[in-house]
Amino acid sequence: MSKIWAIAVNTVRQAMRMRIAVIFIAMLLILLPVMGLTATGDGTLKGRLQTFVSYGLSLTSLLLCLLTIIVATYTITSDIEHRQIYTVATKPIRRYQFLLGKLVGVIVLDAALVTLFAGIVYAVVVFLPGFHDVSNDTLRQIDNEFFTARASLSPPAPDVREEVQTLYDQLEKTGQLREAYPTLPPEGILKELTLRKQLEKRAAGVGEGLMWEFEKIRPLDPNQSLFIRFKYDVAAEPTNGQVYARWQIGDLRQFRYGMNFKTPIWPEDRADPVRTFREIEVPAQVIADDGYLAVGFLNVPLNDTTVIFPLEDGLELLYKADTFTANFIRGVLLILFRLIFLACLGVLAASFLSFPVAILFCLMIFFTGTISGFVLESFEFLSASVSEVYSYTIGALVRLLPRFDKYNPTSFLVPGRLIAWSFLAQVALFMVCIKGLLLLVLALIIFSFRELARIIV
Amino acid sequence: MDYAVETISLTKVFSDWWGRAKVYAVDDLNLQIRHNEVFGLLGPNGSGKTTTIKMLLGLLHPTKGHALLLGGDGTDPKINTRIGFLPEESYLYRFLNARETLDFYGRLFGLAPKVRKMRIEALLEMVGLKAVASRPIGTYSKGMARRIGLAQALINDPDLLILDEPTTGLDPIGTRQIKDLILKLAERGKTILLCSHLLADVEDVCDRIAILYGGRVQAEGQVRELLQQNGKRQIVTSAVSETAVERIGRILEEEHAEWEITSPMEKLETFFINTVVEAQQQARPTSGAVSTTQIGDFLMAEKSQASILDKLVSAPVLQDQPAGAPRTESITPVETHAPQPDRDLLSKLTRAATPSETEHVAPVKPSAVDVPESRDTGQVNKSVLDALTGKTAPPTTEKPHERPKDGEVGHE
Repeated sequence: MSKIWAIAVNTVRQAMRMRIAVIFIAMLLILLPVMGLTATGDGTLKGRLQTFVSYGLSLTSLLLCLLTIIVATYTITSDIEHRQIYTVATKPIRRYQFLLGKLVGVIVLDAALVTLFAGIVYAVVVFLPGFHDVSNDTLRQIDNEFFTARASLSPPAPDVREEVQTLYDQLEKTGQLREAYPTLPPEGILKELTLRKQLEKRAAGVGEGLMWEFEKIRPLDPNQSLFIRFKYDVAAEPTNGQVYARWQIGDLRQFRYGMNFKTPIWPEDRADPVRTFREIEVPAQVIADDGYLAVGFLNVPLNDTTVIFPLEDGLELLYKADTFTANFIRGVLLILFRLIFLACLGVLAASFLSFPVAILFCLMIFFTGTISGFVLESFEFLSASVSEVYSYTIGALVRLLPRFDKYNPTSFLVPGRLIAWSFLAQVALFMVCIKGLLLLVLALIIFSFRELARIIV
Repeated sequence: MDYAVETISLTKVFSDWWGRAKVYAVDDLNLQIRHNEVFGLLGPNGSGKTTTIKMLLGLLHPTKGHALLLGGDGTDPKINTRIGFLPEESYLYRFLNARETLDFYGRLFGLAPKVRKMRIEALLEMVGLKAVASRPIGTYSKGMARRIGLAQALINDPDLLILDEPTTGLDPIGTRQIKDLILKLAERGKTILLCSHLLADVEDVCDRIAILYGGRVQAEGQVRELLQQNGKRQIVTSAVSETAVERIGRILEEEHAEWEITSPMEKLETFFINTVVEAQQQARPTSGAVSTTQIGDFLMAEKSQASILDKLVSAPVLQDQPAGAPRTESITPVETHAPQPDRDLLSKLTRAATPSETEHVAPVKPSAVDVPESRDTGQVNKSVLDALTGKTAPPTTEKPHERPKDGEVGHE
């Protein structure tokens, strides 16, 4: 262990004294405060904060990712290229200890730098409101929507399999199936029908209502607010673009049994524009003791159209589940996991490639990882025609790609969304423990068996 | 028999991209180096010396055959613990300074902090880099880099020392020091594999040599046996009168022997050292490594102190008998003079060098220079060892030590 540590310390020294890290540090030290002053967003304080957090963390993440790739590959390839490896590998140290030492060194450097720069971003964000003369309402809004870590609960997609199957059989029997969907294969028709049925469940005609039930809601503080975030879609455009609705939020089971109300029911009548996200603020006291909450919606007869809640983001329940600070730390950990993965990748590349090639290899994986959603989708599309070949070759490799875009901390911190510990653990498991470790093991095997000396005759 | 280094049909073929054999860098090499032997591996450039060493140390995989170091595999950490290696160039981290470098390598050996610190100081003193120990190695001259490279090879007090071209880039004084050091280490029971194409170096220190060419051993044996001209005799006298020479001539003619009389030439090495001594006595400033060369002190001081190094190496140490002199004499039978004068000069040089050291380093980097220490190297060296071995003398005692006399520097 002490040998691994000796290599690690040497790696950090190398990164600092060879001025690789210094350039990146200098860039961030200049850019971050400047950004704090210049990032304005939509002009409001909230927009300013969101823009700064988004740009600050993204920039920190991007530069540290590049730094990690460069340091991890440089420190190993340079030792081989400049042959310091001759004097190191002939000391009583195993090759795996050498590689692990390099990896630990890079990770230690990353951890230190990510802490430093995230600290700067955090400090700017926390002190920024102090420099602005804003009303208490604005501050309250920022507290509710930015300086928070709101958990989000979406109602699960309704189970409509049985109905879909019945409908399908019926259509087939009556010969309408071919008529309605002349080009689609059976799976495609089922998918289409499922979507239709599910939307039906999220639609309310005039005078009709909808109800969603949520369980296991654990707000941080009983005196805080809950938020119902929703977006209307309509069958026919209302004349003034507004939808009128009556909402009932609380433990609606209490109606059913006619008992005395233990927790209050929050009623709200409101008019909202269509296709726009709106939030209803509700005191957290409405949550039942067992964490149950129901949200009822009534399409009041003032309207003359069916109201639909889009499947993806039509309705969700938001509540403050943790503090901004804790959430911010978890966001930074997400960045650190990404860096650890890249460090493993760099070590692997350096174990068998020379410096420029190793860097290119890592950058390619890195940038593919940042658009992994797109890449995966494209390959899924491709797989429709070459499924067998695909799933055993490219498919397997594509699944090994890191999902940097999916695990992007700013997409959580900007809207004040909770990064749950379970989510973090999942990322740690997949990105670090499985993919990272796989890369590392591969690197150790290659490095242990390769010839370290160059052939000179 | 148990050898310190043994290769069995060691072969290295370098193939091209298609796997076709291109070059036989080492071809069926069978070497046996006994314990406590100074073995010279000679050969022109590209004869396979360095490739052999790389295979010994596991940096290259042999195409065929085996290499054994101290009875084990060269990649086994247990074996590596007992090996010191100086590659053909000092491949060290340019961004570390000398002290950090030695500390780094010491840590790789898992040396206890106390031992590490003691050895680092003693080695820095020995290679004459103490005054520049806090400068990054990237700023060192080739000779200085060589010295620190040698120091890292000795940090673990190795049983087997593998030196690849140890004297390249060194000035004649440095070369002489390294040769002396090799002899001292041999005296302490170490095995040394010296790889070089500088024949004078090898001739001066090696017991046995092998000459490689095209990856194969062309000649192997005792240096003395290989070089001795059995058909000739040589008599060395002090300056005698012409009549005495004539009388000797007559005796030789009676024997029908061919003979000639000349005055022995001074070795260029001796002449060079002489010249530098004179320059140093005039206190000419210089830059670079210090020619202090308490090269032996690292070993000598410990010898008298029963140090940790001695405990580590259980081999018996010859007392008071400078092995260097007789050895050199015995392996150069055709030389027209005994090498003692060099050593006297070296001792003088060692002393003369010390004052100039402070003068030349100070202008370069005043803050880094440790003037009191460098003025009396013997003192510091001893006190570091004292501190380590539990003697009371504090490392920075004010009491001025007497500088060692000629004899104590270690040659006669």
